[in-house]
Amino acid sequence: MTQVLVEARGLGKAYPKVHRSGDRMRALGRLLLTGNDRDRIDVLRGVNLEVRRGESLGLIGENGAGKSTLLKLITGVLTPTTGSVRVTGEIGALLELGAGFHPEYSGRDNVAMAAALHGFSSAELRERLPEIIAFADIGDYIDEPVKHYSSGMVVRLGFAIVAALKPDLLITDEVLAVGDESFQKKCVQWIENYLDGGGTLILVSHSMYHVQKLCRHACWLRGGEVAMSGDVFDVTQAYLAYHERKSAPTRSRSEAAQAGHEFSVLGIALNESESERPLMLEFGDVLRVRVRVRSRDGRVPCVMIGVVRADGTPVYGVSTEIDSASPHRVAEDEYLCEIEFGSLELLPGNYSVRVHPMDTEGVRVFDTLERSLTIRGASREFGLVRLAHHWVHGSRDER
Amino acid sequence: MSVSVLTLRFLSRDLRSRFAGSFSGGLWALLQPLLQLAITSFIFLYVFKARVPGSGAPNYIAFLAVAFWPWTAFSESLLRSTTAIQDNAALIGKVALPREVLVVAVVASSFAIHITGFVAVMIVLTAFGYGISLLHLPLALLLYVPLFALSLGCALLCAAVQVFVRDLVQALGQVLPLLMFTAPIYYARDLLPERFRDLIDLHPFTFYAESYRALLLDYGSFDYWRLGAALALCIVVLLAGHWVFRRLDPHFEDFL
Repeated sequence: MTQVLVEARGLGKAYPKVHRSGDRMRALGRLLLTGNDRDRIDVLRGVNLEVRRGESLGLIGENGAGKSTLLKLITGVLTPTTGSVRVTGEIGALLELGAGFHPEYSGRDNVAMAAALHGFSSAELRERLPEIIAFADIGDYIDEPVKHYSSGMVVRLGFAIVAALKPDLLITDEVLAVGDESFQKKCVQWIENYLDGGGTLILVSHSMYHVQKLCRHACWLRGGEVAMSGDVFDVTQAYLAYHERKSAPTRSRSEAAQAGHEFSVLGIALNESESERPLMLEFGDVLRVRVRVRSRDGRVPCVMIGVVRADGTPVYGVSTEIDSASPHRVAEDEYLCEIEFGSLELLPGNYSVRVHPMDTEGVRVFDTLERSLTIRGASREFGLVRLAHHWVHGSRDER
Repeated sequence: MSVSVLTLRFLSRDLRSRFAGSFSGGLWALLQPLLQLAITSFIFLYVFKARVPGSGAPNYIAFLAVAFWPWTAFSESLLRSTTAIQDNAALIGKVALPREVLVVAVVASSFAIHITGFVAVMIVLTAFGYGISLLHLPLALLLYVPLFALSLGCALLCAAVQVFVRDLVQALGQVLPLLMFTAPIYYARDLLPERFRDLIDLHPFTFYAESYRALLLDYGSFDYWRLGAALALCIVVLLAGHWVFRRLDPHFEDFL
């Protein structure tokens, strides 16, 4: 068993309520007299977490789910209200923007301070300073006060310091999002090397791409509690599905409004599964979509089925009317229609299967329903689908 | 993390930030109390015709200067360090560090500046023949140790409480001049009305003002009982300040 670097047991954090000026005074009195303050709001409850050396953990969750609070508890910036957190080894933390830079001082001065905070001696600092400045790559700005920096420069400098520290545990909080493309690449590359070299990472990000790329495990925080943790793909999928469900209320309202409509979708099954959890497929797998449609007047509906990328870009769509297929009647007012994509040549990524019932003529759209679909795997091809192709001048082994 | 390296780093940052961008640089730190001394001595010496009572009494300027510099070190370090935690909120929210360091650095930088000023003024006064016993200067400097401890104790307490009660620093701005005028800095104990003469021993700075005069001007006597009391006081204040600071420290982040 490898060494446990971070171990949290029943970790909880509550912030004091300080709306009125009197609250601060009362909190001060209570803290001095009894050592604790009752008047608080929970932001984190009963979090158990274990990170071993060499592991990479992605923390995901909505805004206000407690991700940053958890990181601050791990780094020791915050004191837990309940439970405990034990950390072994040196932590390099980039919490939000700035990493504790003082805006009035120059970049160079802030680097020196950050180095001292991480326990560098002056000699070590002199040795590493050129390396840090080279990594940050912000030119003459290094001698300007940090308040004149762009947010990207601040992150560059912050990351450069952490990179020079080579900590046992690297903690970053949504910092990759700020740097420009080339710096992001540099950081991601650095983190990958660092992980290959046995480094340990805790990453907070809203970019599922970064989380899936850099982390092997993920932990999903919801409302201050761990909603799910485990393999990065399972957790990120569940998280994305949750987001879809969250936007569902508006849809179900329109569904209710459409109850009186002529056509509505009763259910979708992807490969025989009605679950709302995203379906996971490999490249080239078979996809079967079965749709049940209610037809108020018993007329034959036309069903449109398509695939869109996670951002809404349509990939392919086809309807029973286009292909002159017809749904199968299963009840007085219910039709069933099923389509099979024999070999789904979608490139790895997140997609949705989208279904619209339309009137018999295929003119009016009545409803929209989506199910998430994830194609797993690694491919270096670009785009959404693989187009059938061959290299005309022949392959190498033919020669 | 080496606390001493960190303290030195914050100390040098504080010193630099005080003089960065100012025309006269570090000179201002010496100039400012000198100017204040010049103005107050003019008013007291030529307007109020103040004289130090007693035979063989020192010149009023020397009398004032010897007590005034230590007081400035105390009051300025306290006033500036009270906001030490609050001013570094950004750092405290992002990096785990022993927060006492921030307070210690500010108090130390104030003392460094004013002790330098003190030594310089003593040398200047000697050069002008004001009868300073320079031989006792090392002893006088030693007296800065308990004064530093006293200031640090108060500073830790104030810096911690300031996080919760933000008007503390404004209140201090009012209280410190009051404390200055109730201590025998501008006047000698003998000038007070009879009934206040013993009461003034309750003022924590009385011992320091009178001891500096006893050591450097040979005015009054150095009282070992009072030294004991002052040492006890500075230890108690330092421990109390540290206790309060430790107690509130885990909650700073919540209230900043």
